[in-house]
Amino acid sequence: MPKNGQPLIHLQDIKKYYLLGDGSHYKALNGITLKIEKGEFIAIMGPSGSGKSTLMHILGALDVPTGGKYFFNGKDIGSFSDDELAEIRNREIGFVFQAFNLLARTTVFKNVERPMMYSNIPRKEREERVMEALRLVDLSDKAHSLSNRISGGQIQRVAIARALIMDPSVILADEPTGNLDTKTSVGIMNFLKELNRKGRTIIVITHEEDIARFARRRIRLVDGKILSDKRN
Amino acid sequence: MEYRELFLEAIQSLRKNVLRTGLTMLGIVIGISAVILIVSIGQGAVQFITNELTTFGTNFFQINPGTSAVAQFAAGPKNLTLDDAEAIEADSSLTNVETVIPFAAANVGVTANGIDKNLLIYGMNHKAVEMLNPTILSGEFLAEEHILTSARVAVMGKDAASDFFGQDSDPVGEIIRVDNKPFRVIGVIESSSGFFGGFFNNTIYIPIEVALNQIIGPDEGIQEIDVGVYDTDLIDQTMEDVRILLRDRHNLDIEDEDDFIMQSFQDALSTVQTITGLLTLVVAAISGISLVVGGVGVMNIMLVTVTERTKEIGLLKAIGAKQKDILSQFLMEAVVITLIGGIVGIAIGISGAFLITLFVPIPFVVNIPSVIVAVGVAILVGVVFGLYPARRAAKLSPIDALRYE
Ligand SMILES: Nc1ncnc2c1ncn2[C@@H]1O[C@H](COP(=O)(O)OP(=O)(O)OP(=O)(O)O)[C@@H](O)[C@H]1O
Ligand SMILES: [Mg+2]
Repeated sequence: MPKNGQPLIHLQDIKKYYLLGDGSHYKALNGITLKIEKGEFIAIMGPSGSGKSTLMHILGALDVPTGGKYFFNGKDIGSFSDDELAEIRNREIGFVFQAFNLLARTTVFKNVERPMMYSNIPRKEREERVMEALRLVDLSDKAHSLSNRISGGQIQRVAIARALIMDPSVILADEPTGNLDTKTSVGIMNFLKELNRKGRTIIVITHEEDIARFARRRIRLVDGKILSDKRN
Repeated sequence: MEYRELFLEAIQSLRKNVLRTGLTMLGIVIGISAVILIVSIGQGAVQFITNELTTFGTNFFQINPGTSAVAQFAAGPKNLTLDDAEAIEADSSLTNVETVIPFAAANVGVTANGIDKNLLIYGMNHKAVEMLNPTILSGEFLAEEHILTSARVAVMGKDAASDFFGQDSDPVGEIIRVDNKPFRVIGVIESSSGFFGGFFNNTIYIPIEVALNQIIGPDEGIQEIDVGVYDTDLIDQTMEDVRILLRDRHNLDIEDEDDFIMQSFQDALSTVQTITGLLTLVVAAISGISLVVGGVGVMNIMLVTVTERTKEIGLLKAIGAKQKDILSQFLMEAVVITLIGGIVGIAIGISGAFLITLFVPIPFVVNIPSVIVAVGVAILVGVVFGLYPARRAAKLSPIDALRYE
């Protein structure tokens, strides 16, 4: 829960520079300042290479910025250790990636269960929560299927179920519909919209306008900078 | 994560690559099975010798001619004689000496029941029964009167009897010809010795004076004198006294070496123990090398696995795996490889030992402590050689792992 008056996420002048082979720096993010409140549904857009994934990795505590400050729930997580960041990712953030979301040759059930194992949640409770999450994404019948034996749309739904399993503050999705056909994509986005309607904070990265339309706020990146930030 | 989950997951992930896992285990399997095998065989050998000792008794020591075990066979020496045996028996200062049993052996032609055969025969006295402890299958063993009267009587070992007269026959009372001289069979015996039984059951026993005077030649030496003592605790002193007596009888100067070898049966056991101990050490060293090589193999495969699964590691970190979670996951995989390798090695080692005992007359012994140590060593190898790859996996930055192609 955010502290009173604190945004859920607050980025202050975030920079991410990559050291290139010739000794120069590539500025993937070049001063991003951003506040995200609890309950928002945001689309981050921009052309390829504009820094969308880089921004999401920083938002998701997967990567540390080269400069700037990142407050999550009012806490400056810039000084957090690897394991403290792992705990933030485990409890506060649910990820949905474009690809490689699931452990291959492992059942759907075990994939969704996994984050709870890192929090030492008892087996009985884990089982109940997995089945509930799978019901939510309408995949109860696939619980014991292997993750490489289900369709792309089903994989993304399993990933969403897993993202939800720890009841996180925010769901981060990087091109969650990038590998899906239009109809399936709309299904996934409608589902995320439904989650947001129930109060979940959702950030989706996409370069498709059709997908971005589901969000209530659209942030456009160009060359590692925010070009526009619009709400409807 | 709980150990149970980690273990099951490790099994599952290793099953995805059965052949590779199997090959990786090989070094561990070889190392562990070699140690288990040799320890089992060594223990069996010691137990075997212990059994022999209870057959023959620990209160004996033996004297053989020659300056070393090798010379004894190489040079057919004549420097141990029946007179030596008699002198030991006659010496009243040797108060601890209970029995003196001279042995003379000769390979001679034996004719019996129409069959001709060459056989190693033994000349002995009636006291040999105290050491051989044979089972009398029929008749009797050599008695004092046979020795005193130099009677032409013979006691047949069980196998020799059945060779000449057929299975389960009773040749007592039959006349056989030893070196063309007629002997009356007075008994059939069976030795229960696992090791010497082969010799003792396939020979013919005749009074030693008959053997020396009528067959081997009166001036020939004898092969062995076995001396039994009353008090085994004093056996070393008795051996020393006998040594002085024999050196005196053989006119040896101070600087001369003994021209005979003395060894107590107890010493023979110690020798076997020393040899098996040494052998175990050598094999342990070799399997130590095998285990290190095996361990390096495990490390190598785990490094490959970590690289192959970089993306998976990234995903696990994204959903909240801490360093120790990844560490224990990969460590568990390494340990499961070496543990299964160890268990397979133990099974092979024990089976191998069992197979060997089918062909060699030693008992089948499973040494439980060595099995426990083997399991511990297998786990240790897994931990030691799995640690570096597992740490590498644990230290991967989540983003590098996720972006890895
Ligand atoms: N480790 C790295 N080293 C050097 N440059 C990098 C590294 N990671 C990303 N970049 C560069 O940073 C820029 C931003 O990358 P990013 O993945 O954030 O783009 P994106 O907006 O997600 O693009 P896309 O729509 O294609 O996914 C790119 O030009 C990329 O080449
Ligand atoms: Mg991207």
